[in-house]
Amino acid sequence: MHSPFSSRVPTLILLGALLFGGCSISKWTVKPHQRELLADKIMQLDAEPQEREAEEHVLANREGAIGGTGTSGGGCGCN
Amino acid sequence: MQLTRLLALACAVGATLGAAERAQAATAEASTRVTMFDEPSSKNTGVRVYHPQADVSVTAASTFNVAAGYSADVVTGATPATFDVVSAATKFSDTRHLVHGGFGFEQSDGGIAFSAAYGWESDYKSFVLSGTTHHDLYEHNFTLGLAYSHNFDKVCDADNSAAAGLPLDRVALGKSSGCFTSTPGYVTHPLAIDTFEPSLSWTMTPRLVVQGGATIQILDGFQANPYRKVALGQENRTPQEHLPDFRQRYALFARMAYALPELRASTLVMLRGYDDSWAVRAFTADATGTKYLGQSMLMSIRAHYHIQSGASFYRDAIGYQTLGPAGQYWTGDRELSPMGNYLFGGKIAFFRRPQQERQSWFVEMELGAKYELLLYRPQSQFGPNPDRTFAQIVQAAFAMRF
Repeated sequence: MHSPFSSRVPTLILLGALLFGGCSISKWTVKPHQRELLADKIMQLDAEPQEREAEEHVLANREGAIGGTGTSGGGCGCN
Repeated sequence: MQLTRLLALACAVGATLGAAERAQAATAEASTRVTMFDEPSSKNTGVRVYHPQADVSVTAASTFNVAAGYSADVVTGATPATFDVVSAATKFSDTRHLVHGGFGFEQSDGGIAFSAAYGWESDYKSFVLSGTTHHDLYEHNFTLGLAYSHNFDKVCDADNSAAAGLPLDRVALGKSSGCFTSTPGYVTHPLAIDTFEPSLSWTMTPRLVVQGGATIQILDGFQANPYRKVALGQENRTPQEHLPDFRQRYALFARMAYALPELRASTLVMLRGYDDSWAVRAFTADATGTKYLGQSMLMSIRAHYHIQSGASFYRDAIGYQTLGPAGQYWTGDRELSPMGNYLFGGKIAFFRRPQQERQSWFVEMELGAKYELLLYRPQSQFGPNPDRTFAQIVQAAFAMRF
């Protein structure tokens, strides 16, 4: 009897290789020389912390929700 | 006058830091910002808040940085003392001060920072300790961020010890003149707030950065507005607002920054889902588009949308007066009512960056202005503050980098 798992094994191995394989990661990574656009200040998720603090101060007192402001930069790695 | 002094102080500090930069090969930034929040009312003077901020930071040898700052809220206006169908407003004014400072270490693949803040006003004191860390993974393509903060807050209240176990007999705080003293009739309640925020950023393509994360916040202590009364039932009882002492808040969020190099522009988007133990559920979306105009100008437009359900114990003014409270708690807070907000606005910034070959005492100077319109959409005309349908936010900013 044909096991339903037998056809899934190669697929799982392939997915695992794509997800965790070093080669696949290196193919998916953005190289330092490709980061010119990402380094621009208009691409920073937290470019203006002082302005963000003022905004949060206004909205936190007028909306019953918090969060979503992020804790660090956008993974630019420009330093 | 106070704001002018703040601006002058920040410029003087900036000039000093500029001199320090030349002497010690450090980089520094000084920035000031003044925000005016104006919420007019069709019945009274509404509320106006001036929020000046001044911050300085210095980074030495690209690895160690220190930062300090001051901000204030100068609040004047009128607010309804009692949440009922025909609320009368009471005039008030108060000033909140906040000082903060911190330090951090940065390396090529990560960093860690610690900060402390102390805020005080006539009826509330707050001391916050915070720590954040971030670490880059897989050739800087992923950034794992973790942030934690703890508040040691104190809230002034009327002494309701005689009404222990009888929340309908609680009286509201009349004035704050006796707060944080030994004056009879006043007590101080503690409020502890723990906030934890993990996030993961992914540089997906040379144009696209995405970030996902969560915010978890636990509050334990007195959380009501001590001045607010709520009209309950038809016997003219107006006890102090009564909220649970414990609240757990959760949010999941996703953010994205996408570059549009053909337009010399970018777009930033944030989506957030929120839930808490008081049954407030909310969804928020925020989008900002930013574009360079020429070599020295930036223009942004922003749209923000928020919708939420009310807390499980919330009723509108008619509901509280005809049906009574929904359980043992009651509130007159707009942020605990079912409602929506829309915000639209724009910002323009001019900056000057002297050429590297020229002698200059600064690296960049930036001058900005912002206007935003916040529209309130309450679900019921008998909800809190029906006389205030919108607010305006005007902001001016000045920053120098050395």
